[in-house]
Amino acid sequence: MRVFLRIFRENFVIFVLLALLALFSIIYPQKFWSPVNISAIFRQFLRLSLFALGPTMVVTMGSMDLTYVGIWMLGGVLTWYLHPKLGSLAILVYPLLGLATGLLTGLVQVKAKIPSFILTLSVTVSYWGLTAWLSGGYPRMVRGYRFITTSLSPYVPMALVLAIPIMASAIFIMKGTKVGTYLYAIGSNEEGAELSGIDTRKYKILAFTLSGLFTGVGLIILFPLLGGAAPTELRLGNLVEPLIAIVLGGTPLVGGSGGPEKTLLGAFTFAVIQRGLGLAFLKPELVNLLLGLIVLGAIFVGTRKLKGMIVT
Amino acid sequence: MASEKIPLLELKGVNKTFNGVVRALIDVNICLYPGEILGIVGENGAGKSTLMKILAGVLPPDSGEMYFLGAKVSFPRNPREAASRGIALVPQEKGVIPHLKVYQFLTLGNEDCFSSFGRLKIGEMRKTAEKILSELNIDCDTNAYMYELPLPVQKLVEIAKAILTIRVRCRNTKITPVVILDEPTAPLAVEHRKHLFEFMTKAKEHTSFVFVSHIIPEILGFADRIYVLRDGRVVASHNLREEKLSEEDIFREIVGRSSSEFLKRRESVTRETPWRVLLSVRNLSKRGSYYNVSFDLHEGECLGLFGTAGSGKAEIIKTLAGIMDFDEGEVVFDGRSLRKGEPPYMRLRRGIGYFSGETGKELFLNWSIARNLSILNLEKVITLGGIILNSKKEEEIAERVMRALKIKAPSPRTECYSLSGGNKQKVSVGKWMERKPRLLLLEDPTIGIDVGAREDIYEALLEMKKNGISMVLVSDDPKEYVLLCDRILYIKGGRIEKTVTPEELEKILREE
Repeated sequence: MRVFLRIFRENFVIFVLLALLALFSIIYPQKFWSPVNISAIFRQFLRLSLFALGPTMVVTMGSMDLTYVGIWMLGGVLTWYLHPKLGSLAILVYPLLGLATGLLTGLVQVKAKIPSFILTLSVTVSYWGLTAWLSGGYPRMVRGYRFITTSLSPYVPMALVLAIPIMASAIFIMKGTKVGTYLYAIGSNEEGAELSGIDTRKYKILAFTLSGLFTGVGLIILFPLLGGAAPTELRLGNLVEPLIAIVLGGTPLVGGSGGPEKTLLGAFTFAVIQRGLGLAFLKPELVNLLLGLIVLGAIFVGTRKLKGMIVT
Repeated sequence: MASEKIPLLELKGVNKTFNGVVRALIDVNICLYPGEILGIVGENGAGKSTLMKILAGVLPPDSGEMYFLGAKVSFPRNPREAASRGIALVPQEKGVIPHLKVYQFLTLGNEDCFSSFGRLKIGEMRKTAEKILSELNIDCDTNAYMYELPLPVQKLVEIAKAILTIRVRCRNTKITPVVILDEPTAPLAVEHRKHLFEFMTKAKEHTSFVFVSHIIPEILGFADRIYVLRDGRVVASHNLREEKLSEEDIFREIVGRSSSEFLKRRESVTRETPWRVLLSVRNLSKRGSYYNVSFDLHEGECLGLFGTAGSGKAEIIKTLAGIMDFDEGEVVFDGRSLRKGEPPYMRLRRGIGYFSGETGKELFLNWSIARNLSILNLEKVITLGGIILNSKKEEEIAERVMRALKIKAPSPRTECYSLSGGNKQKVSVGKWMERKPRLLLLEDPTIGIDVGAREDIYEALLEMKKNGISMVLVSDDPKEYVLLCDRILYIKGGRIEKTVTPEELEKILREE
């Protein structure tokens, strides 16, 4: 019982989620719980969470990683390039690209001491340019990977099952290993971590590398799921929505607390909000406005409950 | 007693220079025996922290030798290597990692001993944590977050972490662990300091302590031996078990001059004619903090609020500053009643300034001294219709303040982060000196800084008082009240017990 109380106290977003589920059940009694809508919520959840899992690790360490959109775009066009030669294996370019990107940004961040926000944003912008150049400006379709895009049942997409090991390993790394503990320690108090004998530079690079790797592995599932073609235009929504999932879940951007399990909760809640508003047949502009306000409200209420925590 | 024993640790001829110019340590020799508490005293900037960091493997020395049980060894290259030889440092600040749980914090850096195939054995970590805490009689929940613990307990947990790290890293169980405490008492209130000393005196049986502090009485109270550092050199060492030393003796060694003439100057400041009432507080109450507080403050008077930590003194001064709110009562300043919930900037507009000695609260560290001084005095440095910042004027003011407070810095444009703790504090005081508020609220104005800088700050405050600025003082250092105040309110449990004169307070303190 006490464990439950603690979980609820530390994850206020659960209340937001339950309230929203109740609200939407009342407004659209049939539509909301229909197989189409439920599986759409899961798809949206997958999109948000697989993009956000890696960056969550970097954020708990107190830095920022925005390379996920860049990896998605550039990896898409590379997959299209390699598909005629390698067949289905071409998609494995994603984890490699993610790993390389993460390692490189980590190294540059630590050696050159560039603020991670602007560094990773520049990486994404550069990849965007590279993508547009390589693809000739058109989104390039890659077919295949039906086993990922099929449905396991009318409610559950196959991709969700495939994503579970990725999510579980992210949580394990952060909660059950030395690396995770060190990332929390660095995010909470970098100097103190150093004084405890931790090689903070090494673990910073490792955090970015892990983040890139998780994004890359997640994209094996996401790329086909999101239509089998990466965009060649940088859209704000793609960049911002995973970040909202992170913050909504309860990982403050200053680092030190939170974690992947919270990001999953945040991603699910955000997916419910998005789908709930999508059902209302509102004008798209209005949906965005409402979305923004609801997220703002949820974060506001949520952060009030985090006593003693630093909130950003 | 010590000469027959082999020292556990010995440093010989240690030198350290920063940036090729600042000589932090010059030919330092110290030794440490098993089972003793070694005090290191000196002003800020004397090289105490640098020496400790070299011992703990945080900084490498430029030259010097290290002996371990009589055998020459190399200096530890990192904290981990130091721990494997039985040495661990509890840093002055920033040692605690607030978002880790207690057991995670205690085992931080030693996870390898608690994991199998990369998976942390959390049960085992907690068990080890509980064992060391119960062994040292520290009462806290290993599953709580560090930020949830009270400050004094955090300090004790840090010491436990140091001991545990040594145990895990150091294979030789016969070696006495050495725990270095760098200014551990700075964030603690008086009664918690006592608790820490008792803790150390008990733990002395199995652990040696190196204790760095600038508070002389506490060192005299319980250290076995002390070294005095001044400007990077060891200027004196004493065996307190054999020698009888007064605070004054050590003070003279620390600063290289005497303090008695200054302490006597106090009497000349007191006035004959009573001035008019500036601030009048009536039945002020805040539930859980203080109750029915009433007093008057005259112009040019300094009133002390004396009491232990948690007595409500800090809350009262914060209420006057507008940082906290009150529940009931009335505060009249200069004939006008202060509204509830009035923010600090409104109080400042009325002429009430608040100065807290807590480092980092007052200064913009990446700004120059001059800009930090003008932030409170912008109307003086802005010319041409209130638009243009006159940097010449700014520097003029800065130079004046630097001279008055003896701030040691290359130029008024020196950025504040590069200053020593004492000089930083002086800049903060200088802001108020230039601003000349009608009432200045002082909370721990000299906390964490050395004796020499303190003296300069007291002098500046007494000068301000002479010019008719009223003050309210809250401090952890009882001597400060005797030195600065005209009247002292003795506060206990949130209520004013009695009003005493500085002389009476001195007597009470001596009896205690």
